Amino acid sequence: MALLEVKDLVKSYGDRNVLDGVSFDLEEGEAKVVMGPSGCGKSTLLRCLNLLIEPTSGAILLDGNDITRPSADVRALRSRIGFVFQNFALYRHMSVLDNVTLALRRLKKLPKREAEERAMHELARMDMAEKSDAFPAALSGGQSQRVAIARALAMDPKVLFFDEPTSALDPIMVREVVTLINRLYLDNVTILCVTHDLGLAKHISDRVVFLHHGKVYAEDRIEELLHRDDPVLEDFFGGED
Amino acid sequence: MSFFDILQILLQGAGYTLLITFSCAATALVVGLGIAMARELGGRWASAVLSALVYVLRGVPMLVLLFIVFFGLPGIGVDVPPLVAMMLSLGLISGAYLSEVFRGALAAVNSNEVLAAQSMGFTRFQTLRLIKIPQMLRFSVPGMVNELTTVLKYSPFAYTVGLPEITKQAMALVAMTMRGIEIYAAIGLIYFAIYRLLLGAVRLIEKHYAIPGFAQE
Repeated sequence: MALLEVKDLVKSYGDRNVLDGVSFDLEEGEAKVVMGPSGCGKSTLLRCLNLLIEPTSGAILLDGNDITRPSADVRALRSRIGFVFQNFALYRHMSVLDNVTLALRRLKKLPKREAEERAMHELARMDMAEKSDAFPAALSGGQSQRVAIARALAMDPKVLFFDEPTSALDPIMVREVVTLINRLYLDNVTILCVTHDLGLAKHISDRVVFLHHGKVYAEDRIEELLHRDDPVLEDFFGGED
Repeated sequence: MSFFDILQILLQGAGYTLLITFSCAATALVVGLGIAMARELGGRWASAVLSALVYVLRGVPMLVLLFIVFFGLPGIGVDVPPLVAMMLSLGLISGAYLSEVFRGALAAVNSNEVLAAQSMGFTRFQTLRLIKIPQMLRFSVPGMVNELTTVLKYSPFAYTVGLPEITKQAMALVAMTMRGIEIYAAIGLIYFAIYRLLLGAVRLIEKHYAIPGFAQE
């Protein structure tokens, strides 16, 4: 049984289906990338998967449990899914350490000392332990993204969602973050990543789900998609390989 | 009677001025925060009702509301002490203005931070308390200073309901000595000194809670 099963997911705004029957699976320890042209529904898909946006229809099964049913505990579900945002979304009035410990203390109810130990462990894993007292405004984009990843990992999630994790970074920081996410991939962290970044997709993914007009247009290994004789894929990848 | 003697007599009323200012400012803070929070957490109807209330309060002259509370309510059997009447008039009107300051500051909180908190499993109330309010209060400092200053400057209206604050003391002194220019100049100086003290205190608080690296000055 897959860790995450998405079945015939639809999200409509009025007459417009942003997601139109999306289905795919994510196995435990797998890293999957969602790619597609702007406006194809990638970010909406990610937000639907932890119910930040309510899907119109379809089913999302996490560990076999349908999280879209009305009786599902949405907050408990969200604490099992780590979410790393494009613009880092660090709480700017809190230090790096407080950013990481906040959910541990308030949601997992860990004592301060234990929460800080776990936070420091994850910050060290992201090479950010020495910045634990710094505030987000003093961090570079790459450092902010590393703190955001540490914050998500500290909650010990079943799966980690990335929403365009490199799009707000310069090329040097992109390499830094790609290396970190690749390290997570090699550590068998289950990852679902929305990105435009072909380099990131090549480094971290087993398979790519290619969305087009709200539907799964193709799902395959990135190398296969790059060499497929298909005008839509060729148009998106622009002959890169 | 020297200018120093006049100052000394007037300063006896300064305690009342400070009491009125702090009582009304505290009322305004509670009312402003209450309205801002209720607008955030309440539904569309709650927000519409509160917006209408704020609209009305901002349009009513302070002295009219003070007279309604102090001279009007006894007519229906509700006696209101002078200080409470000030809190229910100046405090309420100032609270309505503060709620607008808070509304603007809440809108300045980065929506991605709110989304991040919700994606981790925080409730709307937790997100408000832990993420939005701490930032909102910091962003609101300039607006709160303005409102505190307004409350201080409106505090002389308390003489109309019998509170012996500085202006009332001054009027009594002028009636006795006929030295209006000196006496009113003296209370101007006292108000300015109180304003500078309050401003200094607010700046200290602002500095203590400033977010490092985040420009607010």
